[in-house]
This record gives sequence, structure tokens and C-alpha cells, in this order.
Amino acid sequence: MKWAGIAYALVIALLSTPAGAQSDPKAELAKLKPKDFPTQPIEFTVVYPAGGGMDVSARLLAKHVENLSGDRIIVNNRTGGAGMVGHSYLATQAKPDGYTVGVIASLLWGDAMLRAQGRWAYTDLEPIAYVNSDALIWVGSTEGPYKGMSIKDIVNAAKEKPNTIRVAIVPGSMWEYILDQIEANSGAKFLRVPFQGGGAGIGALIGGNVDVAQGFFSEFRGYLEGGKVAPLAVAAGGRMDFLKDMPTFNEAFGSNEYLWQLVRYAVVPKGTPADRKAYLAAVVQAAMKDPELVAEYRKQGVFFDPKLQNSKDLAADLNAYADVERQFYVKTGRLK
Amino acid sequence: MFERALNVFWIVSGAASAAYAWSLGMVGPAGPESGLFPFIASVIVSGAGIMLLLRPSGVALDFPRGGGLWRVLGVIAGLIVMAAGMPYLGFSVTSFITMIILLRAVDKSSWLSAFTLAFLSTASVFWLFGQMLGMALPRGPWGW
Amino acid sequence: MEALNGLLTGFGVILTASNLYLCFLGSLIGTLVGVLPGVGPLAALALLLPVTFTLSPVGGLVMLASIFYGAMYGGSTTSILLNIPGEAASVVTCFDGHQMARQGRAGPALGIAAIGSFIAGTLGVIIMTFFAPAIAAVAIRFGPPENFALMVLGLVCTLFMISGSTIKGVLMMALGCLTAAVGLDVVNGRERYTFGSVDLSGGVELLAVVIGLFGIAEILSNVETMAKTTLLADRIRGLWPSLADWRASWRPILRGSGLGFLLGLVPGGGPVTAAFMSYALEKRIAAQPERFGKGAIEGVAGPESANNSAVAGSLIPVLSLGIPSNPVTALLLGALIIQGIQPGPLFIAQRPDLFWGVVASMYIGNVFLLLLNLPLIGLWVQFLRIPYRVMFPVVLLLCVVGTYSANKNVFDLWVMLGFGVGGYVLRKLEYDLAPFVIAFVLAPLLEQSLRQSLVMSPDGAMILIKRPVAAVLLAASAVLTYLMFRRRTKNEGGLP
Repeated sequence: MKWAGIAYALVIALLSTPAGAQSDPKAELAKLKPKDFPTQPIEFTVVYPAGGGMDVSARLLAKHVENLSGDRIIVNNRTGGAGMVGHSYLATQAKPDGYTVGVIASLLWGDAMLRAQGRWAYTDLEPIAYVNSDALIWVGSTEGPYKGMSIKDIVNAAKEKPNTIRVAIVPGSMWEYILDQIEANSGAKFLRVPFQGGGAGIGALIGGNVDVAQGFFSEFRGYLEGGKVAPLAVAAGGRMDFLKDMPTFNEAFGSNEYLWQLVRYAVVPKGTPADRKAYLAAVVQAAMKDPELVAEYRKQGVFFDPKLQNSKDLAADLNAYADVERQFYVKTGRLK
Repeated sequence: MFERALNVFWIVSGAASAAYAWSLGMVGPAGPESGLFPFIASVIVSGAGIMLLLRPSGVALDFPRGGGLWRVLGVIAGLIVMAAGMPYLGFSVTSFITMIILLRAVDKSSWLSAFTLAFLSTASVFWLFGQMLGMALPRGPWGW
Repeated sequence: MEALNGLLTGFGVILTASNLYLCFLGSLIGTLVGVLPGVGPLAALALLLPVTFTLSPVGGLVMLASIFYGAMYGGSTTSILLNIPGEAASVVTCFDGHQMARQGRAGPALGIAAIGSFIAGTLGVIIMTFFAPAIAAVAIRFGPPENFALMVLGLVCTLFMISGSTIKGVLMMALGCLTAAVGLDVVNGRERYTFGSVDLSGGVELLAVVIGLFGIAEILSNVETMAKTTLLADRIRGLWPSLADWRASWRPILRGSGLGFLLGLVPGGGPVTAAFMSYALEKRIAAQPERFGKGAIEGVAGPESANNSAVAGSLIPVLSLGIPSNPVTALLLGALIIQGIQPGPLFIAQRPDLFWGVVASMYIGNVFLLLLNLPLIGLWVQFLRIPYRVMFPVVLLLCVVGTYSANKNVFDLWVMLGFGVGGYVLRKLEYDLAPFVIAFVLAPLLEQSLRQSLVMSPDGAMILIKRPVAAVLLAASAVLTYLMFRRRTKNEGGLP
């Protein structure tokens, strides 16, 4: 395994020096490529249905990885149970032979901590590359009784008249957890109308069936341009490039705990041979350096977390995020 | 006889399911809880089972016999092999074996025609779905 | 006249060699994935998504849309010939379509399906041409209470559909509701009926259920009586629908077109619900409902039309508002976003070339599909001449691949096998399986929308009566239920 270690060091060197970016990435990848790998298509597993944000991110990535490496990539949607079926498959059944790469989101952590019941842990999947991030944004309508209100106004309104403001949520996920935090900190009470995804909630907002919806930028950008929705606040560490005027929840409430973002990254099952893992990591990371892919992601409305983008130890940085989430679960009694 | 057993099965499983649904909770502060709809459905299953038991429709289950029985069991066995073997042997090998079972058990084909047909159909399905449509069919330890 | 100008723009955009070629290619692929069981439009669109990256936005969207409606044409073929739904929206076509094939009327069944699809698809796109923006504005108001009322109406219609013993039919419906409850409760994210199994946490897969109940059960009964079965082909009578067929079908086609279009608009609706509802409606108003399930051509004409016009209907919210009403349109939205285009309320004004281009392409695509499908009928019918002993292993293999392709989970094969054996036994005991499947599809929507309504309502169940559309639909359901009980008690002197 010594040569594998050297190979891994090489990837690190390649990606951290600017010289590496200037030299031909294809030639660098060819050096790393194990002799017997890949001999068949590599499967990018996505645990959410085709067409969603996760799927689109994975398919764009697959296209660029394919161009860069010349290896054939198949994107495979293993869906069901709001991601639980696919996550369990990756963690427990997928063969660690390098032919399975999971392109997943940080919702994995919640599944692992709350729903896996000890059958697997998120550490059964080893991160190989960071892809992109999306932060949860609250949007209100530009019509109706709550138009023109800021996030603070709305929370105050929900405090004065509890159980009148209808908020679209996706149950058992961050869409709901952020409401828990707001309600606990402010004493406000919202009506939680459950939907099966962020997009459905936005639709209900446009139709006047809820008063506040939550979603990612790409899910409501069209209505924003059409003047139908007003962004209220984002649950990220800083303001979004594309919506400079929208405050973060933390700014609005003078807090630091409202951090609900989706981190998308690539993983391999634990036990994947080191040389194959290093090669896959190098290929995906090199694809992520491709300005064309970055531009396509930006068009989609996602952002890049600088901390993860320049990470020296991706696994450790991701674990740090996961720990914040764990603390929330422990604090709210969801996790013992 | 069989119909009676089935009706008893409806009653028992309906009751068990209703008990389970009850434990999920019926009504909460915001309307029905997880258990209400399944509970109603379970009660209907049990109730219908009781009514069927009281008024048997007199349909005799025409149980497959002789060759028919073997053919039905052959198909079921083939599918069991398929579902059980696929995660370990991959799609191609498992479906080839299944096809041989089916063709020998049901059709009594000769070994030669069974092999030919099994090979051709497996290969064409594999080509169409696996290659043309790019669907990741399960792979065996040998990579296909 | 704005619409006509728009349409002219659209034809100007679409009448180029490359766009016409993409439209044709999409129709062809759509037909193919429709015919292949399991691989439905969703899977095909997902697979072809990367291809559209390199196309122009118009070309890509035209191709993806034509795959969607093309699959609705192809799906009926497998249902009619093999009793395996080619895709989920063609499940109901099995009920009567396959019976027609057994009576040697596969040709008329396929013909009426293709022509009905064409009429419905064209009507749908005509409505879309003239009313898209206005309809979208109304459809978006359709919220959980209205959805709930609609599902109640659907289930009431299902009661009418039961053939044979009412008790057995009701039992099957309840069982369908119960099976649909397995998995995550969408309202609170809690698992129920999963008993700690990860595989069950995703719920029971619709494709595994229908391929089991129809495909596998059919194969089991066929192999049992293999000695007795004569070739279906011996009984082939006529390739084209007769005058009597037309007389029976034209009304169902029109009704199916209207109903399908409306259901396509509704969030959570789409071709699958549209086909089921149309079947229930046709059976409800038929003069001799007992003919349904025994090869009634109305049972093919209505649903096959409904699923096609539902495609046109479901494109309206996604193209004029950017709100997908079902997974396939969600994928279309994804394709547009990849191209850097975000449909929203301004989409038609900002990108008239795209919107009108797609509308224009749908006129052409429907013609392509008709021309593609009618000549194929003769060929499909010839398939019935293949000896069953050669054909059934291949059909079985298609069932397996089709089921597996839905989630890529081998567990679904066990589900399929279980429902296959169960369906085989229940059919022998004269249980009608159609109510099971319909309840399975409608029940989750019913439960979810009721609970959403109650959560969002300040005064509880009143919301269901205060909203006019919901109130009207619920009143209609009540009247229908009353009529049914009166009819049953009159005809039979009490419940059978």
C-alpha cells in the first residue's frame, strides 16, 4: 500500500499547488490511474429522484468527469424513503471496488443519526471531493397580508397572533428544524404545512395556500424575477452573492445558530482500495476545477463554501459540520 | 376450505394492523395522526373478512394440479432464484440460470434449445437495457 | 390573436431540419420506452438529460417533451398485448385492453389507443395554445382542500368500478389504502408499517405492485393452463376499429381528453391519475358497466386519451409558472435550469421562442406519433403469433428488469413476486384487482391533502366547505355515493 500512499500524496500536491492547475490535468490524471481500473463504467449513485437539485448536480459532474478522464460514468438514482434507501445501500451494500461513487448531500448525516438506528454511520462513506452547497432560504409572497414584511416582522406577527402564519415544510428535515429554532428562540408559533419537497411548497406559496415557503435559490428564482416572491432570509454563514440585499437569519436575529445548508459532496464506500480512491478523488476534484462546470453550477444558483473548497482535510471539515448538527439533535432531544 | 382460511386471514391481519395503527396515534392537535387512515382501512379489511366468512361466495379454488402445478411452481422458483441470486451473481448469470429453469420446468425444452433461447434473451435484454439505455444492472463478482 | 401570432413564431422556430429531427427522435424514443415495461418517461428523460446539454434549449426541450408524450402512446402496447403495463399511466389499459387482445381484438385496441392518444394530444395542445396563461393562473390556486375533494371523488368513482362482489371490491380498496400507508408518513416524516426495514421505508413501489399483480399473475395463470391455451393469434379478427367501435369510443375519447387535461394541471396529478380517473368515469356512466374488465373498448379509449391530454395539461404549470405538477415535469424543469433558463411567470414573455416552439412541436410530434404507431400495429399483433412457451420467459425477464429499473433495488423483485403470487390466488377466488391499484395510487394523495388542509386551516374541517371548488367536488361525491347505494339496494335487495 506504500505506492498508494505516494499516489495520494501526489493528488494533494497536485491540487494544492497552482502549478498543478496549469499543467494539463489529463496528463496528471493518467499518471494516477491504476493499471486495472476502471475496466467497466463507474456508477454515480444519487439517492434522490431524477431532475432535482442533487440529480442535476451529479449529472453535470458526471459529464465533466467523463470528458476529463475518458471513463464511462452512469448516473444511477437509487430512490425511496426520502433518501434513506439509497444512503443505506451506499453505506452497507455497495461494493467498495471503486465502481460506486455516491454523489450525496449532507442530509446523509440526519439519516445516519436519526433513522439508521445504528445499522450504519455516516463515517461508513469516505468523502473524496466537495461539490457545492445550497442554503435554505425563506421566501414570502408579494401579495396578501404579509407582503413587504421583513423576516423579523413575520416572526413578530407569528408571536402576536400564534398559529396564523402558514409555513411550508418538508417534515423530518432541516425545513422543520429551522422552525423549531425560531419558535424556541422567539416564542412565535407557526402553522406547519407539510409538503414532499421544497418546490411543492413554493408552488403553494404562489397559489396563496401558504404564507411563507422555504427553498433553495434555484427553486424560486423564476418567481423572484417575475416579482411573485420576496426573499426573506437565508440560513447561511454569510449573504448570498446573487441576493446581496437578503439578510442571513443570524444577522436578523443576532445569533449564530441558524445554519441550515445542504453540502453536496462525493463519497466512496469505506474499504475502497486506496489507489482507486485517490484516482477518483483526483478526477472529481479536477473536474470541479473546470471553469465551465463552475459556471454551470453558478447558473443553477448554488454556491461554493470556501472552507470546503480549500479544505486540506475534507473528511474532518465535513465531520465538524456534522457535529454541529448532532449537537442540535441532542439539544432538541431527537438524539440521546 | 381455502377461501375460509383466506377470510380468517383477512380478519386476523386486519385486526393486527388496526392494533398497530392504534399505537401510531389516531388524532392529534392538527387533525388525523399517522394511524387514523390505516386504522380505518384495517377495520374495513377485518369487517369485509367477517362478512365474507358469514356469506361464503362458494367459489371453489381450482387448485392447480399435475403439470399445471409444476409449471406454476417452476415459474415461482425461477423468480426466487432471480431475486435471491441477483445481488451476488449479477444480472446476466442469474437471468441465464432462471431462463434455463423456466424453459426446462415449464416448457420441457431440450437442453440445446433451452441454452440457446436463454442465451439469446439474456443477451438481448442486457444489451437493450444495460448498454442502449445505460441502466446499471447488478454486476457479479466478475464485473458483468 | 396573440395566440396565433405566438403559434406562428413557434412554427418558425420549430420548422428547421434539426428541430424536426429532434422531435421525431424524441417521439421514437418515447414510443420505445413506453413499450418497454418499467422504463417509463421519467427514466428516459433522466438518461437523456446529459444529451440535451449540448443541444439548443429549444431542441432539448422539444426532444424531452416528445419523449414524455411519446411514452403515453407506446405504453398501451405492452398493456394490451402482454397485460404488463408499459408504463404506470397504462396500468388501466390492461384491464380491458388485454381482454380485447384475448378475444382477438388486439388490432382495434391498439388502433383506438393510438388514435385516441392523437385526438387527445392534439386537443390538449390546442387548449394550451389559446389558454395557457389564464389556465395556469387558476390551476395554481388549486390547493390541498381542492385536492382532497378530488381524491374523494376519485375513490367514490372507484366504488362504482367494482365488478363482481361488492364486499371483495371494498376489501381490495381498503387493502390498497393500507399498502400505500407503508413507508414514510409524508406529513410528519414518521415511519409506519416498515417494521425497521430500510427497504420498506421507501414505501411499496407502484411498478412492483402492478407488474406483480398483472404481469406475473397473468404469466402464472397462463403457464398453469398452457396445454389448454390456443394461440391468441388464431383468433385475430380485424386490425382496425370497426364502425361500432368508433361509435362506442368517440365520447370516451372526448371525455378522457377533457378530464385528463384538467388532472394534468393539478399539483400531484398527471397522466397516471388521469388514466385511472377516466376509467372510473367511463365505467360509472356506461350503460352496461358489467362489460368493463371483459374487453370494453371504452375502457381503452378513455384512459389512453386521458393520459395524453394530461401531458399537455401538466406542461402548462411548468412552462408558464415553473411549477412542476409531477416528477416528469420536474425533470423538464431541471433540464431548463441546466440550460440557464428559469421558467417563471415571465417565461412566455421573455422566451416566446421556447414556449411557442414547444407548443408548435407538440402539434407536429403528435402527427409523427400517429404515423409511427399505426403502421406498427400490424407488426405488434404479429408478436402474438410467437408461441407462448417461447415468449413467456422473455416477458418474465422484462417484468424483472422493469421492476428493478424503478429504484435499482432488488427488494422490489420480492415485492413483485409476492404480489404476483397473491394476485394469482386472488384472481382465482374472483377478487377484482383494479380497485386495489386505484386505491393504492389515490390514497396517499387523499391522506396527505386532508392533513395539509386541516393544518393550514384556522377553523378545522370548515376549510373543505368554505372553498367553493372543494365544496362542489365533495357535494358531487356525496350525491354519487347516495345514488350508488340506492341502485345497489334496489337491484339486489341489500348488499351482496
